[in-house]
Amino acid sequence: MTLTAFPPPPPGADHDDLRQEVRAFLAEELADFPPEKRAESWNGFSRDFSRRLAQRGWVGMTFPEEYGGHARSALERYVVSEELLAAGAPVISHWIADRQSGPLILAKGTEDQKHQIVPRIAAGELCFCIGMSEPDSGSDLAATRTLATDVEGGFRVNGTKVWTTYAHVADYMILFCRTGKSEDRHGGMSQFLIDLKATENIQISPIIDLGGEHHFNQVIFDDTFLPSDALLGEKGEGWSQVMSELAFERSGPERFLSSFALIEELIGVLRQDATEAQQAEIGRLSAHLMVLRQMSRSVAGMLNEGKNPALQAAIVKDLGALFEQDIPRLARSLVSRPAVPGGGDSYAAVLAYTALAVPSFSLRGGTREILRGIIARGLGLR
Amino acid sequence: MDSMIHDMAERLFRDHVSHALREDAAAGHCPEALWTRIEEAGLHMALVPEEAGGFGVPAAEALRLVRIAGAHGLPLPLAETLIANAVLARVDLALPGGRLTIAEGAGLRLERRGTAVHASGPLTLVPFARWADRIVTIAALDGADHVLSLPVKDLTVAPAQDLAGMPRDDVKVDLALTEADAAPLPRSLGGMRGLGALVRSLATAGAMETILSMSVEYANDRVQFGRPIGKFQAIQHYLATMAGETAASRTAAEMAADSYDTPAFALTVAAAKIRAGDAAETVGALAHQVHGAIGYTQEHALHHFTKRIWSWRDEFGTELDWTRELGRAALSSPQGTFWHFITDSTAQGTPA
Ligand SMILES: Cc1cc2nc3c(=O)[nH]c(=O)nc-3n(C[C@H](O)[C@H](O)[C@H](O)COP(=O)(O)OP(=O)(O)OC[C@H]3O[C@@H](n4cnc5c(N)ncnc54)[C@H](O)[C@@H]3O)c2cc1C
Repeated sequence: MTLTAFPPPPPGADHDDLRQEVRAFLAEELADFPPEKRAESWNGFSRDFSRRLAQRGWVGMTFPEEYGGHARSALERYVVSEELLAAGAPVISHWIADRQSGPLILAKGTEDQKHQIVPRIAAGELCFCIGMSEPDSGSDLAATRTLATDVEGGFRVNGTKVWTTYAHVADYMILFCRTGKSEDRHGGMSQFLIDLKATENIQISPIIDLGGEHHFNQVIFDDTFLPSDALLGEKGEGWSQVMSELAFERSGPERFLSSFALIEELIGVLRQDATEAQQAEIGRLSAHLMVLRQMSRSVAGMLNEGKNPALQAAIVKDLGALFEQDIPRLARSLVSRPAVPGGGDSYAAVLAYTALAVPSFSLRGGTREILRGIIARGLGLR
Repeated sequence: MDSMIHDMAERLFRDHVSHALREDAAAGHCPEALWTRIEEAGLHMALVPEEAGGFGVPAAEALRLVRIAGAHGLPLPLAETLIANAVLARVDLALPGGRLTIAEGAGLRLERRGTAVHASGPLTLVPFARWADRIVTIAALDGADHVLSLPVKDLTVAPAQDLAGMPRDDVKVDLALTEADAAPLPRSLGGMRGLGALVRSLATAGAMETILSMSVEYANDRVQFGRPIGKFQAIQHYLATMAGETAASRTAAEMAADSYDTPAFALTVAAAKIRAGDAAETVGALAHQVHGAIGYTQEHALHHFTKRIWSWRDEFGTELDWTRELGRAALSSPQGTFWHFITDSTAQGTPA
């Protein structure tokens, strides 16, 4: 039963020296970074931070040196990623580019695209956003309506994308849209690399989330002209390209560490004197976290070997979201202190932030129901 | 070599561990003939070093036999014998052959009487005691851990069983041990509780893999409302959930097996036992939900597996014992370093 087998990460995956360097860097960088900011986890945005991280060689780590990368393994990248998340560092400015857009461009892009874009990703200079979801195409990504039609010298795009995280600050979008008709529901789709700062007729407007924050956006393409070299990969191959991004998107430590700031707060409160019942709950939490980490590192190992562990990634994301979503409930069952947004003590503030964040964890990056459908198919349910 | 013993075990169990054999064992009959085959194949020696008669396979590979045995619901103390032989070999006590079992020795009292050591006290719920030749346990003498090899014929055994009908006997010890049957344990292997928890976690993972594939097969075959129930999304999601839980506990158990005989073992085995217990709850419940009434019968094979995983939850430290232990360790990490506790506890260390 291969679906349930997660081979251990390869020997030496701990990379202890690297880990200590990253910890020292973060201790200094984030010395005054308050818990309620750390609670934002990988939604926190700071171009400066991303640039400084890149100066240390910790962005684009797995990219070839020829493209400004550092030719390090997926497991070394994993060490840096998990240390950043555990510390609550503001990473979103480079996160998406580093995680999936960069690897996609490297895999499918032209030499020009690779040389122009990838070194700047590795320098921590570029923020990417993902243009997949639309008003009528959420889980059903193949229902995408946004259409790019061939015109002289390029394409003209019309349509609307939604929930586009950080589109309002991003430099580039990777757009997934229709480029033709096809008998096959998954055919006739393509991906484009769009320079958001230099392209006209794109209207980006905020969508405020329930926490009152502006993370995601609506992006309207209104006869937007894209030059032909904006096409990323093969025309008509968009579906399979998008699918291969997902193992990168779904298995990383951000799929179970999003509530980590609250875990630290909770343990901080209980450390002094915990009842046996409280100890037991922290023991259970620790066990789940240790195992999720091992599973996620196992997927990193498989990615490093060039395998496509899409099913294992779906399992990690499903289990990881359950874990991170459960932390506010757990905190409330162990500590009697109300959540207070921006509240006086850091526990109350972090609980408030996290309680409002968790509903999104089983939506973004593929809903729980969609992931379970993928796993069920992998089980051979006919 | 590694995969050879796994293939051999897989074939042996597939050919010989039937529903009827498990039923028979649950009714109290020891499957002697099958044990002879296991011994002939040498599986019971897989975890001892080559110089003591083993195959020289890495411990983690040898321990995989336990998952395979769990996947077949083997009603014999193979896991116990593997561990017992490994512990005896560690302290250079004779490997007596035959079926062995293990027990936590916390209830035993050891006293020196001349050159002999007198052992007395109870051992509770000892797996397969009445089918075993010897019980290997660890107890304290002069403040130091000692390995004891206790001949069952000289003990008083009161039969009892677990949920799956497997022998879990209460044993009274009152006998004098010679040097041939007691030796100091220089470096802890994790204690009998830890070692027992390791093999139960591995067996649970194996049993859950079988439960999952039985459930998938049943969902594809059973037709209601004109289609296989596996076509219903609710059933698909149950099975996907079972797959996730199974994968997690297998990963956890293998992580513990990989750290066998290293300092990391104390915490990884706690995680493995806790994760297996949590998964047993979900996987057992959903498997029965998917199977409907037929799965609730003695006739159907499912119960041999679900009852085993439910029993194993409580053995060699209950979930509450292990969650408290791991929680205490986690909470004793210095302020702001819980993350370091997590990375340290799952570190592989330097490869041997
Ligand atoms: C915080 C956040 C950030 C996001 N960032 C981005 C981004 O940067 N770029 C981007 O493109 N998208 C982004 N998304 C969108 C995300 O990918 C979608 O929300 C997700 O794919 C689900 O689509 P939907 O919201 O339209 O829900 P729907 O697809 O309408 O689903 C609603 C409910 O129905 C269920 N459902 C749907 N189909 C089925 C089915 N076949 N079987 C069973 N149940 C089903 C779903 O699981 C869900 O529970 C983001 C979302 C969030 C919450």
